[in-house]
Amino acid sequence: MLRKMCLALAVATSALAVNASAWADITILVPSGSEGDGLRAAAADYAKLKNTRVEIVQAPYANVFEQGANAGATRSGVFDIILMDDPWIPFFAENGHLEDLTSYFKNAGVEGPDDDFLSKSLAICRNPYNEGPYVCLPYVGNAQMFFYDAAKFKEVGVESPETWDDVLKAAAALTEQGDGRYYGYVFRGGQGNPVVADFMPIFWSYGAKMFNDDRTKVTIDTPEGAEGMKMFMSLRDVSPKGVESYNANEVGTAMAAGTAASSINWPNWVATFEDPSQSRMVGKISYGPIPDGTEPGSSEIGHWTMGIMSAAKNKQEAFDFMLWATSPEQIKISAERGNPPVRRSVFTDPELTQQERFRHYPVLMEAIEASTPRPRHPKWPEIENAFGIELSKAVAGTIAPEEALKNSQAAVEQITGLN
Amino acid sequence: MKGKSAASLAIGGGLERWAERRLRYLMLAPAVLILLALTIFPSLYMFYAAVHRISPNPDLPWQFVGAANFARLFSDGQFQAALRNTAIFTVVAVSVEFLLGLGLALLLDKYIRRMTFLKTVLMIPMMLPPIAVAITWKLIYEPQFGVLNEIMYRLGLPPQAWAGDVDLAMFSIIVADVWQWTPFIFLLMLAGLASLPVEPYEAAELDGASSWRQFWDLTIPFLKPVIAIALLLRVMDALRLFDLVFILTGGGPADRTKVLSLYIYQVAYRFADPGYAAAISLFVLFVTIVLSTWFMKRMRLVE
Repeated sequence: MLRKMCLALAVATSALAVNASAWADITILVPSGSEGDGLRAAAADYAKLKNTRVEIVQAPYANVFEQGANAGATRSGVFDIILMDDPWIPFFAENGHLEDLTSYFKNAGVEGPDDDFLSKSLAICRNPYNEGPYVCLPYVGNAQMFFYDAAKFKEVGVESPETWDDVLKAAAALTEQGDGRYYGYVFRGGQGNPVVADFMPIFWSYGAKMFNDDRTKVTIDTPEGAEGMKMFMSLRDVSPKGVESYNANEVGTAMAAGTAASSINWPNWVATFEDPSQSRMVGKISYGPIPDGTEPGSSEIGHWTMGIMSAAKNKQEAFDFMLWATSPEQIKISAERGNPPVRRSVFTDPELTQQERFRHYPVLMEAIEASTPRPRHPKWPEIENAFGIELSKAVAGTIAPEEALKNSQAAVEQITGLN
Repeated sequence: MKGKSAASLAIGGGLERWAERRLRYLMLAPAVLILLALTIFPSLYMFYAAVHRISPNPDLPWQFVGAANFARLFSDGQFQAALRNTAIFTVVAVSVEFLLGLGLALLLDKYIRRMTFLKTVLMIPMMLPPIAVAITWKLIYEPQFGVLNEIMYRLGLPPQAWAGDVDLAMFSIIVADVWQWTPFIFLLMLAGLASLPVEPYEAAELDGASSWRQFWDLTIPFLKPVIAIALLLRVMDALRLFDLVFILTGGGPADRTKVLSLYIYQVAYRFADPGYAAAISLFVLFVTIVLSTWFMKRMRLVE
């Protein structure tokens, strides 16, 4: 009798298991770090709430692009959602790896994302930029800000830096005082993405652009580009030795340790700077928008966005999850978990803005609204690599800054086929 | 009854003969299938990919381009930089590792034979995963907080950018590689030295040959096959260098440390151009085969 009961229980359990595996599974590819961790936590909440199994695949930054591109090119359908850095969107969208979300919004009875999202956050999720259909939804609201030690800047006579000339003046004085142990400015000089990311805001601040408006000409080697490059080289001269290999970690560590007085950085570093276990600079770092050059300063936008892979197996379930994860309630929870928001209501929520750790929100919202996207081109990874090599050579001093601009112009023309 | 037994025997005998003829092939079949699936097919596929332009868009067909991907190699500055850097790294790193490994083996073999603990300690770098070695050296080289610059500072020497300096970056990678792989040469040399015959050395002693003479005329010729294998393995491995460069410099600064493996990875995965990446991979395969064949003939490992 007992044997029969055990057998019946086993059969019933296997039937349940088979049923469970037939439930909608959503697999999401996310980067390592706070962005991926935030979505992992949200996915766990969603799984409990909706009784849906959500699987998170977490990979280092560069591998997320590779795995997504591979899944798209092979139509493997291994991922339903990919959490993308925004400069990757043209590559994924124009190679047919992403779903057009128009019909999903229609089925949900809405025109598209609501007006509470910041306009610049939504613009990057349309392909072509700000014009085409939505191919993703914004999730993490990154845009660079200018981080500086206001007390140190004041010591050398710069109250609140508004232009790159102010920054250079203060940084030069502080580096001289620092005598090889303290520096006025620090930046990501590592070849490729790091050096390009920290150069672009300066380039834009002097009115330079990589392409003309209708993307028919490469416009790197211009008088405006030369002005931006000149300022970048002056800032390099007051930065630490070895900055040629710096990435975000080295810059963040230098700022948190109090060995550098200013830098361009991403807002997710605020949590580190304000954490006494990781920073000597708690409460001492001020946040501002990107300083002006000859034109108003502009941050590079670096949002993390969620898109549905065109080969996904559970597209409707994936869209439902994305709508839920980007709702005002969930974006607020995501903000509390350390990810900058993409919604105006969360940026201005008194419950958050009254907290010390969110004191940078007004500046960040302003930075996002004044941000510029990296040039929208499906070959952006290759363009960034070529530009990054020439910038790295200029930073390392192996070629003249003018030569770096000239070579970059030629390289980007060759990659894009533009003349 | 008798006839039936004979028939059964005949069947049995036939089966036995069949089994004798076929079974060995059946037994080999799984290994051959695995080899086909994991080595032969991907290699042939790589040849096929190398003569095509492959779009990241799965809706676009592969476009046959013949030798165009190979022709690109001659005009690609990044490939040429990677080739030059790989050559510099291979020659310098393997030479230093060989000299240090042989020197250490001779020293330990002659003077401190019984110190097995020391031998074990010397082996540790080789046992570590390359990624852990790369991260450790990244921390050592860190310009502001790294231990190396702290030592320089305390000695009153100017701190250096190490992996971030155009003139020092390749040197820094070579030092880390030498640290990890000298023990491999050391281990092989030590094994070679332990197997040397004693009699020729006794005869040389009687003839009054100096230690230096004995080293050149006896030790080196006896060790020649071991040296050849050690160098061959290290050269092949050096041509595949990836981890250290990826973690320490990412190929920079100014493309000074970009090596072929890193460039193949970038072309295939970052630029989504697997056809061209296959062409570069075939070039590296070709160089490795030519080099190793030449080397083995030179060292008379093959006739």
